[in-house]
Amino acid sequence: MNKISISVFILIVASSNIHASEKLTLDTVRIDLNNKPSLQRGAQIYINNCLGCHTLQYQRYSRLVTDLGIPKEILQKNLIFTSDRHGQPSKLGSLMINSVNPNASAEAFGIHPPDLSLIARSRGPDWVYTFLNSFYYDQQRPMGVNNYLYPNINMPHVLWWMEGIKEKSTGTDKVSYIVEGNMSDREYKAAITDLVNFLTYVSEPAQLKRYKLGFWVVSFLAFFAFIAFLLKQEYWKDVE
Amino acid sequence: MSKFMAWIDQRLPVSSFFRNHLSKYYAPKNFNFFYYFGGLALFIFILQIVTGIFLTINYKPDAAQAFASVEYIMRDVNYGWLIRYLHSTGASFFFLVIYLHMFRALLYGSFKKPRELLWIFGMLIFVLLIAEAFMGYLLPWGQMSYWGAQVIISLFGAIPFFGESLALWIRGDYVVSDVTLNRFFAFHVIALPLLLFALIYLHLAALHTVGSNNPDGIEIKEMKDSEGIPRDGIPFHPYYTVKDIYGLMVFLTIFMFIVFFLPEFGGYFLEKDNFVPANPLKTPEHIVPLWYLTPFYGILRAIPDKLGGVLAMGLAILVLFILPWIDRCPVKSIRYRSVSYKILLTLFIISFIGLGYTGMQTPTTIITWMGRLFTLIYFGFFIALYYMSPNEKTKEVPERVQMDE
Repeated sequence: MNKISISVFILIVASSNIHASEKLTLDTVRIDLNNKPSLQRGAQIYINNCLGCHTLQYQRYSRLVTDLGIPKEILQKNLIFTSDRHGQPSKLGSLMINSVNPNASAEAFGIHPPDLSLIARSRGPDWVYTFLNSFYYDQQRPMGVNNYLYPNINMPHVLWWMEGIKEKSTGTDKVSYIVEGNMSDREYKAAITDLVNFLTYVSEPAQLKRYKLGFWVVSFLAFFAFIAFLLKQEYWKDVE
Repeated sequence: MSKFMAWIDQRLPVSSFFRNHLSKYYAPKNFNFFYYFGGLALFIFILQIVTGIFLTINYKPDAAQAFASVEYIMRDVNYGWLIRYLHSTGASFFFLVIYLHMFRALLYGSFKKPRELLWIFGMLIFVLLIAEAFMGYLLPWGQMSYWGAQVIISLFGAIPFFGESLALWIRGDYVVSDVTLNRFFAFHVIALPLLLFALIYLHLAALHTVGSNNPDGIEIKEMKDSEGIPRDGIPFHPYYTVKDIYGLMVFLTIFMFIVFFLPEFGGYFLEKDNFVPANPLKTPEHIVPLWYLTPFYGILRAIPDKLGGVLAMGLAILVLFILPWIDRCPVKSIRYRSVSYKILLTLFIISFIGLGYTGMQTPTTIITWMGRLFTLIYFGFFIALYYMSPNEKTKEVPERVQMDE
């Protein structure tokens, strides 16, 4: 009996240690949708690194012009790499999709890379940020990397050229790199903050309008409620 | 103008309708905070119909297109996001308002003679509203839409003999599918709203026949002056029209704050998992209905046996229908009822909210036992009330209503 309870105890302690080394608490990311340059940088990173596999099937290129203030010419010249079915470059009004064949990608990665239009809404910005920060070197995996937050994911560390490739954490604060990226730790975190900021915008573009409009609507209603209160008081004076 | 009205009145009773139901319709003068919610419920019903019409203009009830069409509304339709949030927030507020409206009836005995039919129509509206909300929740075709429907419909399968056939008949398929989505759309946008409309009409017709109860639970019609006007009554228009406009504005201020700033309400009004398209092959970790149904879901889960759970859940709603005959105390308002009733009602409210909480949590031993305790209190309320109410020690009810302020 004692032996069993001891081994159970050891198991619990051991497994809790495993969990401690896997990042289970999410880092917080500062989302600021008023920061247009950050959203623009995020769009740039996304289109250059992610869109090849992950579509934004509900987002239109044209919204990057109207919502993020990216000039039309720059967008068409530097950010639209896809073409329509006639072989012409994708039009401004088209959706941000790619030409990945689902069967081919499933064969390559084991799963078709999911659309990310709503990822910041279904998982939350903190999750996406933590995820992008959680890749580490793992020879056992087909892509050579693993992820603390999403163990055994089949996705390669696409942003490795920015971050470098981390060695598996040994529990100390010091992070060592197997391959150096072209960014410092701080620069990389700033870059993925921009990226997550952009994905948060994409998950609900109406947010840009919603808060501003909401302020006026609620203020008007509160004021009107006050007027309605005075009207009610006036009528009810003679009810005893 | 008067000539025009005379012309109309000879052909349609507009003026007399206005008199009978507004300007000469007498309501007790002592309505308090709880008396705003009936009018607010009517307002939300209209809001849901209007926003619903706009949503159907762009929504596609097709398993392959439904999710994308909702995102299309959220992004490409002008102010589509606003229409959708008004509708989704409206659904949650509908239940909030209805629960407060029902609580008011429990406080002041508004279900008692002569208002039994009024109460039963109200209960029918509540049951239809549950069905309406449940079917509407499938339409966005997200993971929670899909799996919530899957779980709830499978409950019918627990009924002996014909349960499985019944579940199959409701779904129209062996699993929730495009067929289910199509029929739920039909029910959600036309069949149930029509029935609701008819029942709301009957609810109001019954109300205007017997007149409103009030926080003192006194029948104002029993105290009339020489002209036959209730001494404690005031014309609905203008007194309660202006008061209800004020209430509506306060309500809208809060409502619009949530629509614009917290439309997901931390996952309670719009669940995170519902931003993932329905996937019949991938069951989410936790399947929980939206908050307004969790009290009943809590009862379902508290019972270890599936059939027992389903029966208990059904009974929890059915027992409310016969409340006018369970509560046999002649005094209506809680103001003049015994301390025991106050304790019972408090326990009942705690158990209802508690069940809402346990229904939302992942079941652990503690949560399950809490759910069982609350279920016991929920049903215990009705049993205790039945035996206690005839010989309650009540206070003397005054002849005239008391003004609050």
